[in-house]
Amino acid sequence: MSAVSSSGWLYGAIQRRRNRGLGGLYLVVAAFLILYAVLFPGILSVGGFSKFTQNWFPLALVTMAQALLMLNGGITLAIGPLVSLGAVIAATTMEGVFGVPGGIVAVAFTGLAIGAVIGAIVAHLRLPAIIVTLAGSFIITGVALILLPRPGGFIPDWLSNMLAGHTPVAFLLLVVVLLAWKAFLATPLGLGIYAAGDNPVGAFRSGVPVERAKIVAFALSGLLAALAGLFVAAQTGSGDPVIGTPFTLNSIAAAVLGGVGFLGGKGTMRGAICGSLLLSVMINVMFFLGFPPVAQYIAQGLIIVGAVAVPELLKSWRAKR
Amino acid sequence: MKTFENNPSASLRSRLFAGAAMAMGLLALSAGTASAAANCIKGDRKAPYTVGWANIYSVPTWMKQTEGTIAAEVEELKKAGLVKDLMITDAQGNAQTQIQHIQSMIDANVDAIVVIAGSSNALDRVISDACDKGIAIVNFDSLVNTDKVTAKINTDSGEWGAGAAKWLSDQLGGKGKIIVMNGPAGISVSDDRRKGAQPVLDANPDLKIITETNTEYNAAPAQEAMTSLLFANPEIDGVLSLGGAISAGSIMAFDRQGREQVPVTGENARQFLELWKEKGLKGWATMQPNWLGALSVYTAVQALEGKDVPAFIKVPLPVIDDSTIDSYLARADQFPADGYIYSDYDQALFDKLLAQK
Repeated sequence: MSAVSSSGWLYGAIQRRRNRGLGGLYLVVAAFLILYAVLFPGILSVGGFSKFTQNWFPLALVTMAQALLMLNGGITLAIGPLVSLGAVIAATTMEGVFGVPGGIVAVAFTGLAIGAVIGAIVAHLRLPAIIVTLAGSFIITGVALILLPRPGGFIPDWLSNMLAGHTPVAFLLLVVVLLAWKAFLATPLGLGIYAAGDNPVGAFRSGVPVERAKIVAFALSGLLAALAGLFVAAQTGSGDPVIGTPFTLNSIAAAVLGGVGFLGGKGTMRGAICGSLLLSVMINVMFFLGFPPVAQYIAQGLIIVGAVAVPELLKSWRAKR
Repeated sequence: MKTFENNPSASLRSRLFAGAAMAMGLLALSAGTASAAANCIKGDRKAPYTVGWANIYSVPTWMKQTEGTIAAEVEELKKAGLVKDLMITDAQGNAQTQIQHIQSMIDANVDAIVVIAGSSNALDRVISDACDKGIAIVNFDSLVNTDKVTAKINTDSGEWGAGAAKWLSDQLGGKGKIIVMNGPAGISVSDDRRKGAQPVLDANPDLKIITETNTEYNAAPAQEAMTSLLFANPEIDGVLSLGGAISAGSIMAFDRQGREQVPVTGENARQFLELWKEKGLKGWATMQPNWLGALSVYTAVQALEGKDVPAFIKVPLPVIDDSTIDSYLARADQFPADGYIYSDYDQALFDKLLAQK
């Protein structure tokens, strides 16, 4: 993983250093994936793999949406409501004159716009992101409930079957999103998101447009959350104005599990994605191990603490040597 | 009641019954009447079956008791050789996790799934996937939209509200000042019960509603709400309380203030029933029977055995009044202090419910 092919010695060294902190997490995730494949070999079939990645996909997207902001030194509590709103808009617009493309554009635009507005308030009024997004989450929930007071709406079957059928389309989309993130990081603005999170003053003095980077980070985060909502709508075949709620906390848990720090600049997107994968595969593994629900609550906590502790223990063990 | 009595004939009865059911299943198969099979059933699954119980949230007492009836029913069916395993999941209130659990149950190739839905729409696709695989799906209490299930089982919330309002109106001679205590706002059960009460209230214009409350289905918040209402209203003739342990909170509020108790409706919460008897007041209660869970497992197994089961099983609301309350309180110690004393059930009742068309 760490042996990056080209790009010179410095790049390789930096990637190695960034991956090192994640070694423990990779081990834990790999162990769970292997255990899952042993318990349920069907995961290795196309259908099984597709279904598993479909259940993971929205969590992976919202974890990216969260990690993006945490890397920038922010946080958002509006993830869940944005997922709900994305699902509601998808389920209410796809029947309209513009059909599915219109619905997708509407969802994407809404996510971008809401994210940008929140980002502008945070950046220019210098208000804490946690307060602005908390307030935003109430407003967005309200709007979703007005648009669709109770679960319903309509998603064409072909779209549901394409995104969440028996093919790994969701997984391929995730790969595309990750490649896009990689490409974005290579641009000055992409790097600026990291830099502004790590050391805002230093970044500003080096010519990084700190405020613009923040607004872009919020807008992209909003886009990812709303698209996760679109996927949830396709997966369930309808909209539900409160279905996203648990995603807020889970996105933070997955990002932190993946080594993304609360203070900005620390962490990697691949770590966050691994964190979300662990949260998702854990549910299935506990099911196949036949854990009773009460034990699942406890095991879940232990796994999360363990996954955070293992890398730390490895680090101190390495330092002692 | 087979859950709590050590009745030796119960297992014998069920064993005899199981034999009969199996014979019937064989008959159905040999006669080739595939059309008589219930929804989702393909007839390729053989006993003993694995049953999955996909719960949305296991923490509330009502859920724990419901799970208790499911586990008890599975034990009975195990003795009859019809079930070999019960898999239980708890989605911790997250509909998305419930989808993942049901998908895992499909992956594990369970034979039947019993489910209380966390969202009326979100589970539709995964449930119809399970149905396509020939898995018997029985959905109870909180229902899904899709009709691709073997059976849906529930009571009627509208009748609940109507029954409660009717009794209170009769008690008060159709005249007086009442307070309506609802469950949480925006919850469909709570809405539906209130809606069911409305026609009765409309028909009795002399029954004046002083005010309405919305609280959780627990005693404490209800007591708090009623306490402030008592200060504001010197004259209250009756309390129309629509579920949970709300009625218990109301009675305790009256008691604390030293006010004379008035007729009150409610649910089968043990707290309420005990206060009802202790204070000697006029009461009426119905219930969402916990054994809907047991009935669901039984229905799923019957369907797998090739029996035709109704697509919707409407369970009549059992009623507790002054004449029957003693029979409930006699069994109180078998139920948790904050639990629900549900009505008796047995195989015969289930068969009767399954036979209705």
